[in-house]
Amino acid sequence: MYIESCEILTHEAITKTVYRIVVSSERLARECYPGQFLHVKVREAIDPLLRRPLSVHRVIPKKNTIELLYRVVGHGTRLMSGLKSGELLNVMGPLGNGFDLETPFDHAVIVAGGMGGAPVFFLIDTLLDMGKQVTLIWGVGDGKEIFGIETFKARGVDVQIATEDGTVGKKGLVTDLLIPFLAKEKNNSTLCGFVCGPECMLSSVQKLAGKTSFPWQASLEERMACGIGVCRGCGVQLRNADMKMVCDDGPVFNLKEIYFEA
Amino acid sequence: MKPDLSVIIGSLNLKNPVMTASGTFGYGLEYADYFDPAMLGGIITKTVTLEPRAGNRMPRIAETPAGMLNSIGLANVGVESFLESKLPELENLKTAVIANIAGNTVEEYCLLLQKIANHPRVDAIEVNVSCPNVEQGGLAFGADASVIEEIMHCMRPETDKPLIVKLTPNVTDIQSIAAAAESAGADALSLINTVLGMGVDIQTRKPLLARITGGLSGPAIKPIALAKVYQAAQAVSIPIIGLGGIMTGEDAVEFLIAGASAVQVGTLNFIQPDGALQVISGIEKYCIDHGIERIQDLVGTLAEA
Repeated sequence: MYIESCEILTHEAITKTVYRIVVSSERLARECYPGQFLHVKVREAIDPLLRRPLSVHRVIPKKNTIELLYRVVGHGTRLMSGLKSGELLNVMGPLGNGFDLETPFDHAVIVAGGMGGAPVFFLIDTLLDMGKQVTLIWGVGDGKEIFGIETFKARGVDVQIATEDGTVGKKGLVTDLLIPFLAKEKNNSTLCGFVCGPECMLSSVQKLAGKTSFPWQASLEERMACGIGVCRGCGVQLRNADMKMVCDDGPVFNLKEIYFEA
Repeated sequence: MKPDLSVIIGSLNLKNPVMTASGTFGYGLEYADYFDPAMLGGIITKTVTLEPRAGNRMPRIAETPAGMLNSIGLANVGVESFLESKLPELENLKTAVIANIAGNTVEEYCLLLQKIANHPRVDAIEVNVSCPNVEQGGLAFGADASVIEEIMHCMRPETDKPLIVKLTPNVTDIQSIAAAAESAGADALSLINTVLGMGVDIQTRKPLLARITGGLSGPAIKPIALAKVYQAAQAVSIPIIGLGGIMTGEDAVEFLIAGASAVQVGTLNFIQPDGALQVISGIEKYCIDHGIERIQDLVGTLAEA
């Protein structure tokens, strides 16, 4: 059985709309790997009806804790933001196929946009433990949504920030930072690219990734119901015309194989 | 004493009245990591069509109050792959397997039936004439009693296995449709399929579904489903399998009292993978609490208001 009611240890607002919830689970702390998600039932009621897929933000194995990061966007996440520490959170998972870290590479370039930053923390923690070199290019609209980067810098991560409001880092989009990075590194075969964010960003990064000689992994988001490939709701179109399910075949796919309409 | 939960649908003997609805339980084993599907009264496999289908554009699911909209569009592996790779996996599964089929034309229904009816693992066939998310057939067929008759007249001579016709609620007169299916040879009826629905994102003014309209399921449609089951039960003497928003044993008991001989659990599977088992134990508890020895004694026992 992969459903568990986990105790909420802490639950806090990081910005006006972004929350971090920390739950306790020895099993999840052992089983989760970067890029996977948990399917969360916000409360035991028929409304909201469906679970919410939330990527695993961080795992602290020594404490047996799992952290989830989410933005309040609607009815379900608004209710979720009212949960208190000590209450239980019903989660199903870990679900999905996360990032492939077995593939040979020495240096990871990670491109994150908005809430795409959520799964990236777990990824970076894991990559650093593996002894990999990491470059993080993170873009958000509002500079207040940049957090937690000092510890990464202290551990040797090359952190580059782009904000649309220009309050932190470079004013602009992640691609404004990625283009100069790739000008130097596009043929560096020791690299592996990771990208996580909204579809328009993934599509822009795909165009740039197409000119690089190293592989790229993209973590996708789509509305989903079951989370395990049954309802067929969260399809992603590949360039070879195949349709895959984000929940079950992904959420991580080869960026170069995804078909974007835009 | 443990109540007798077994039910009979045509020549099908089910160990309990709870089946999993087509499209919500894959091809039968997708939830096997969560519970043993042999504990179910039966499983109804995802609709298969003659050719594989990828389904409609995304977004094709959305949430509404106590409900879910979908416009999947019968995404499925196609009948050949179903016969070659899906059904053989169910060979040793100790519960009824009901294969659900849908065609674009009357002839396609017949062809599909010919392909699957003799398969030893197919215990019954559910005929989907009620999908709201396809261009051809689907809802348009299920809303027309004469088309249902045509399909049944074509299929009936081909098999002795139970033929269950799954009806749409999106009709004015469910009783005439139900009666037409019965007189054309249906062994049982399933109702309801999803209710035609829609949602709008007022920020972007876009529909929640790329196909604009879709099928609404979940607790939001339970009162509609109960009314259709009740009305159909007044019009036919064949068994009715009730579905639409069942989340608990109590919900299922409502359907049985209203006239259903058995039930299906659909959207609940997406939220609680072993939800169907909780429905079974809820029905059992109701029977024990109310001194009901045989679940069949509960069917159609609606008291006067």
